[in-house]
This record gives sequence, C-alpha cells and structure tokens, in this order.
Amino acid sequence: MNWNMLIFLYLAFAMSFSSFLAIISRNPVHAVLWVLVMILHQAFLLYTLGSEFLTAVQIIVYAGAVLVLFLFVVYMINLRKEERWKVFVRRSSYGFIIFLFFLYFFFKNLAFLTALGPAFKAQLPYDLSQGSNLLWMARYLYSHYLFQFEVIGCILLVVIFGAVFLLRKLKEVG
Amino acid sequence: MVPFEYYVTLSLILFVIGLAGVLFRRNIIILLASLEIIMNALIVLFAAISFHAKDISGYLIVFFLIGMAAAEAGVGLSLAVLLYKKLKKVYVDEINFYRG
Repeated sequence: MNWNMLIFLYLAFAMSFSSFLAIISRNPVHAVLWVLVMILHQAFLLYTLGSEFLTAVQIIVYAGAVLVLFLFVVYMINLRKEERWKVFVRRSSYGFIIFLFFLYFFFKNLAFLTALGPAFKAQLPYDLSQGSNLLWMARYLYSHYLFQFEVIGCILLVVIFGAVFLLRKLKEVG
Repeated sequence: MVPFEYYVTLSLILFVIGLAGVLFRRNIIILLASLEIIMNALIVLFAAISFHAKDISGYLIVFFLIGMAAAEAGVGLSLAVLLYKKLKKVYVDEINFYRG
C-alpha cells in the first residue's frame, strides 16, 4: 500500500460519499455545496492523473462558474424544502434487479475490458520529458483538434444567446 | 501506480449515483446537479484512459467535456427559471403542462 493508492482511495471515497449526500439531501443549497465538495476532490484526482491544466480548468469552470450559477438559481427561485419523499419511479424493484444483473456483468468482464489497456494504440503520444502537459495539450489542441475547439466556442455563444432569448421573451409576455 | 480497474469502478459508481439522482429526485435543480455528477464520471474515465495509454486525446476530450457541461448547465438552468416563472413549480412530477 503506497501513497498513490492511499490518496486514490481517499479521493474515491470522498467523491462517492459527497455525491451520494448530494442526491439525498433535501435542501437544494446543501446538495449544490456537496457537489462542490465532489468537484474539488475531482480536481485533485485530475492532478494525480498528471494534468495540472485540467485541474485549473476544473476549479475555474466548475467551481467558479457552474456551481455559482446553480447557487444563483437556487436563491433566485426561492425553493422550499421538499416535504414529501415519494418515490418518483414506480416498480423500481424490477429496475434494481436489472441493475444487479448488469453490475454482475460489469465485474465479470472488467478484467477483459482492462486487458485491452496496453493494446490502446496511442494516436497522439506525448512525452513529459519534452515539455509539460500543458505544452502538449496546447500543441495538439491548436493543430489536431482545432475544429472541435471552434465548435465548442460556437456552442457556448449559442448558449448565451439562448439564455438571454428565453428570459427576455418571458418579460414581454408577462 | 493505481490500476486502471479502480478508475473504471470509480467512474461506474459515480455514474450510478448520478443516474439514481436523475431517476429518483423530483427537484429540477438537483436533477441538473445529478447530470453534472454523470459528466464528472465521464471526466474521470477519459482522464484515466489518457493517463494509462500515454495518449493526449483523453485530456483534450476532458477539456471539451468541461465546456459542454458549462453549456448544459446554462441551458438547463435557464429552462428551470423559465418553468418556475411560468408555472411556479420546480418539481418534475407536478409539471404536467402538456398532458391533454
């Protein structure tokens, strides 16, 4: 048991437990804050996976933008606590049985799936002795993935237009 | 070095927790937060694949996924605000606006 394994086990336990608390908490503010805890742990998990740039992006975009947006909406629409605790999906026991079957299937074939691991052919290899992870990401992002990068920019622009359009039209009606 | 199976199992656990949140919760805000948890499961999986295969593509896909998650949260939350302003409801089983 070395330090890598200990850190991974702590991060995995913290992420699972905080996301579980996020989906069972009745107050939406608490749920959003538990998701924030999960995202901070996941940022450190990305750091242990060798990408310091994605750690920064995860903290800035998720914890800084998305979660703040969630909290903003929660405070804006002034939710009450959920009193009823009705099961939304009826006959969920059948689904649970099917879920157990798929879980058995997953763990039975996990060794087969991960035996493919060394056979992954690296299409875009990188060498950390030649430069940092950020340097390699930038090099491939602006050459191989340039079109996808532009598409993401267009999608975010359309999202801004969509949000403004949806909330502006309501003002004219009401 | 942590084996690859552990990352796949962590990703599966997060995906199942997020799916349970989508299926069993009625509050639309928590439903969107559960979608974020599902996105985070994908992020863990792609980053682990990229780390173990020594390939940069997984990290780039994680970068695009974070952008997509931001876009999804923007659209979803604006629709949630629209629903609340129109119907004064945020629980998805009470929204039966289109039932004939």
